[in-house]
Amino acid sequence: MNQRYSCNTCKSADKLLEGYIAELPMETSHHRVEGQSTKCAFGLQGVCCRLCANGPCRVTPESPRGICGANADTIVVRNLLRAVASGSGCYIHVVENTARNVKNVAKTKGPIKGVSTLNRLAGLFGIEEEDIHKQAEAVADAVLQDLYLPEYEKMRLTEKLSYAPRYEKWKELGILPGGAKSEVFHGVVKCSTNLNSDPVNMLLDCLKLGISTGIYGLVLTNLLNDVVLGEPEIRLAPVGLRVIDPDYINIMITGHQHSMFTFLQDRLTDEDVKEKAKKAGAKGFKLVGCTCVGQDLQLRGAHYTEIFDGHAGNNYTSEAILATGGIDAVISEFNCTLPGIEPICDQLKIKQICIDNVAKKANAELKEFDFANRPAVTDQIIDQIVAAYQARRGSVPLNLFPEHGNADTLTGISEISLKKFFGGNWQPLIDQIVAGNIKGIAGVVGCSNLTAGGHDVLTVDLVRELIAKDILVLTAGCSSGGIENCGLMTPKAAQYAGPKLRAVCEKLGIPPVLNFGPCLAIGRLEIVATELAQALNVDLPQLPLVLSAAQWLEEQALADGCYGLALGLPLHLGLPPFVTGSKVAVQVLTEDMKGLTGGQVIINGDAKESAAILEQIILEKRQGLNI
Amino acid sequence: MKRILIEYEKCDGCKNCSAACMQAHRENPGTIYDLDLGDPKNESRNRILKDAKGQYKPLFCRHCDDPECVKSCMSGALYKDPESGHVLYDQTRCGSCFMCVMNCPFGVLKPDTVTKSKVIKCDFCADAGGDPSCVKSCPKKAIYVEEV
Amino acid sequence: MKYVIIGAGVAGVEAAKVIRGQDPAGEILMVSVDTHIHSRCMLHKYIAGEREESGLDFTEKDFLNRYGVTWKNGVRAEKIRPETKEILLSNGETITYGKLLIASGADSFIPPVGELRKASNVYGLRNLSDAQAIVQEAREAQNVLVIGSGLVGLDAAYGLLERGKTITVVEMADRILPVQLDAHAAGAYQKAFEQAGTRFILSRKASQAACEADGKIHKVILDNGDEIACDLIIVAAGVRPALACLEGSGIAYDRAVTVDASMKTSAEHVYAAGDITGLSGIWPNAADQGRIAGKSMCGLPATYTDTYAMKNTINFFGLVTLCVGRVREEEGDESWVKEDHTQYKRILAKDGKVQGTLLQGDIAGAGIWQYLIKNQIDIRHIEKDIFDVSYADFYSVGEKGKYEWVS
Repeated sequence: MNQRYSCNTCKSADKLLEGYIAELPMETSHHRVEGQSTKCAFGLQGVCCRLCANGPCRVTPESPRGICGANADTIVVRNLLRAVASGSGCYIHVVENTARNVKNVAKTKGPIKGVSTLNRLAGLFGIEEEDIHKQAEAVADAVLQDLYLPEYEKMRLTEKLSYAPRYEKWKELGILPGGAKSEVFHGVVKCSTNLNSDPVNMLLDCLKLGISTGIYGLVLTNLLNDVVLGEPEIRLAPVGLRVIDPDYINIMITGHQHSMFTFLQDRLTDEDVKEKAKKAGAKGFKLVGCTCVGQDLQLRGAHYTEIFDGHAGNNYTSEAILATGGIDAVISEFNCTLPGIEPICDQLKIKQICIDNVAKKANAELKEFDFANRPAVTDQIIDQIVAAYQARRGSVPLNLFPEHGNADTLTGISEISLKKFFGGNWQPLIDQIVAGNIKGIAGVVGCSNLTAGGHDVLTVDLVRELIAKDILVLTAGCSSGGIENCGLMTPKAAQYAGPKLRAVCEKLGIPPVLNFGPCLAIGRLEIVATELAQALNVDLPQLPLVLSAAQWLEEQALADGCYGLALGLPLHLGLPPFVTGSKVAVQVLTEDMKGLTGGQVIINGDAKESAAILEQIILEKRQGLNI
Repeated sequence: MKRILIEYEKCDGCKNCSAACMQAHRENPGTIYDLDLGDPKNESRNRILKDAKGQYKPLFCRHCDDPECVKSCMSGALYKDPESGHVLYDQTRCGSCFMCVMNCPFGVLKPDTVTKSKVIKCDFCADAGGDPSCVKSCPKKAIYVEEV
Repeated sequence: MKYVIIGAGVAGVEAAKVIRGQDPAGEILMVSVDTHIHSRCMLHKYIAGEREESGLDFTEKDFLNRYGVTWKNGVRAEKIRPETKEILLSNGETITYGKLLIASGADSFIPPVGELRKASNVYGLRNLSDAQAIVQEAREAQNVLVIGSGLVGLDAAYGLLERGKTITVVEMADRILPVQLDAHAAGAYQKAFEQAGTRFILSRKASQAACEADGKIHKVILDNGDEIACDLIIVAAGVRPALACLEGSGIAYDRAVTVDASMKTSAEHVYAAGDITGLSGIWPNAADQGRIAGKSMCGLPATYTDTYAMKNTINFFGLVTLCVGRVREEEGDESWVKEDHTQYKRILAKDGKVQGTLLQGDIAGAGIWQYLIKNQIDIRHIEKDIFDVSYADFYSVGEKGKYEWVS
């Protein structure tokens, strides 16, 4: 027997990581997959209902209805709507905090790093203010006012931020959202016990929640953050466990709310604070990126070269990042902060601090982000982290992995920076698509889960298949973290692309997979898509563009997915979202949706097959455009 | 004798049978609501296996006609009850050698996880009147008792 | 018909049960040196004080009555005369038989080193009488030397550790349990015994041992000259079939009694089962041989076919191990190892057929490995991690709900 925690770890696309985790003496999510491998089919199909005291009711041939009379369609879609409402709630929470932060920065005349984005938003919103702080405040207010509208009043910015043909389609379907927070409320009410039983009616609510999630939770969160935090700039950056430099006091950040870290980030590079680190025996402080907030920092990394070490890994890499022993503290503010990190933090004496109570971890100290008191709270946090560093370094073994990841992942890509890269407009990209050098575009987004073949396995395999078919891949979310650690975002990854795409990439010096960063940046992908559609004067469903959330994990991903469907895009999922127990849900999502919004769900867990299906769709769309 | 018959094609992997077995063999009485599902002392005598294609294959003691476990038992703890035909286990006699585990060709038996001193073995819920709890709990009727 | 069974071990007992099933009226006489029917596999529990003599009985309650067995115990079968169907007993009595089963087992082998065979404080550990004598001797003795670290040697060491004795184990091989385990798995037991206070001296043999005035050996000198002080010596250097009663009987034997597949010896009406046949030293096989012999004695066609004997389970200090098949890796083998803080497992296979499985720490549901090895089933087609192969991959529910193997 040896020190290894258990022989049973799941596969990873990232073989180095797989080997590293297999050797660990502590339990991680990867170790728990095997023990959870017998899945209850009722749960898998979404036909287990626990909405009332008569439950759990499950659908079988002998008992096709719950005690209340709900059939499989009602049970499944109620469960789905709950999940979508929850997922939407998460993103709306994020945009609410982001908008409040913009407002607070504006009111206190703080730095506005992304003036052009601010002007763009003000222009869209029809705000005529010269002073940038007043302009920023007005922009933030406009967003907040929409978020707080009742469900029966439509949000005002939706039309301004939507592509006109889409807006018309949504209006026609009656799915224009009211106030985003109220929509969550409405969705939750609708799927409660013995209320709605109409699966199609509830599926339309899912789409409505998708729209409010997408436009507010995704698109606006990015843009508001760009205003305060700075706009992404294209550059090469290191990724993987290699970014952890043990000479520094290292803080792993996880979550989705970059705006909550700005003050801390700046403070950590102040001389008086750096002095604290030096006194403790370190060279200074570093932030180590993890999950989407890490992706967000990486995306804007050009502004934070001193404090940000790089992005180490995504959701299911977080335990490995901690297991290196090189992390002294975790600051988290949202998902995807796995509960499984807690025992590891305990064991390795890593200080856990939460700055948003919605994501309070059991072992963490809650230090809620408080704009007004941020200097004092931030200094308290810093002192605690220094104390943790002093208490643990030397006594906790280091298990660093400097060979992991790579040094030259292309990052900093946004709808603005990419367009700038192409010379200020999308024509060069459109030309390549029309010429067939780029067959189409696939947005490979979402999370990693451990059950679609293993950690990042389906995502990475699918991406390899797609680029080999000359399909340019754009990523956002934890999928980015996995793909970048596997080396597919370095310029030399062009060699894995099909000959035509490879030639384009090599000419431009870019990889065939372009990293837009966090899952929030799905909003940026959709801006790119909208601008391409505008340039071609077609509607979104006509574009040779597909989405894949191959390894979707969370309820948020389902809300994102509903946005994709509302936009009329084909959406591939590796695992079904617990809906296959309902024939109606499957029919609507995979077939009838084409007639409603133009979108469709494709469920396939095989990378080769999935890529072939997506390629076929792209080819059909090209045919439709006569290219 | 009575045997639990199995239609594996119907198994949905919900593990109700395992929970029911744990409940039936828990040390301290209680309801299914307070059964400690995380306590390794609560062990199920049945398991849902999966083949390479992911098909569930429920594993339940057959109470074999010619039981290898009994034939390999060096303490007399395992015996085939002449009346019921079931293979029963007298923990007080067990020598914890686990030759029965080695000799069950279907891999049904296992040592208890915590003390490795006794064998975890189906008793057909003898204490509950010989009506197996697992069978009662299966929502798909994938397992049922028949006189064979 | 009068059936005589020499020996009260599992082979004899199983034979008696089968015979009674076939011949309700026959006379069954069991003759044994043993005065308690007992499981040899549990003698360590007696030495440790965990069980009384009665707790070692492996038979069902009221076995003698239920099966109508007459038992003469405390007597030895001295001579067998097949020509007259007679047996001469150590009490001077002569008994006759219609059918005879020799299931008198084996005796501990005490190697001819120094005066080991002569000394009064040297014991094998084979029968309850050995264990009783060891317990008696251990009342006075503190330092115990165990020669041999196979399962019997470790059983003795375990039992005497429980009695607070100071134990030294000398082993010729470079590791303990050399027949059953590989070095890594053996190391885990060595560590466990050492933590309980046992000292192991590996790669060494006893070379000199002389009796002192009290007739006991108080020190043993090893082949490197080291001296081990001891008050009690347990020799666990293997067993030899108990063949003494066969001398001059005309029944064919070499190192063990020769039997055919029906367990019949070269003499008419004389059968043998268990350790005396030298076919296998393990419980399930001895039991099986007893049952086959019993059937044959009743005139039923029966053959001993499930002869696979390369299998063992070990359980000391709650660390369980299962080893089936070949331990030593051979050229052309494929091997797989998995290890973590709770378990160590190793599989050897050749041409897709498992040759050896060693599982330590977790043996839950591991019964399938014997089947796979014994029947040399090709498992290459199963697209799974080899350690995850289970009965699910051979699953079939047949007639009356019985499991069947399909591959």
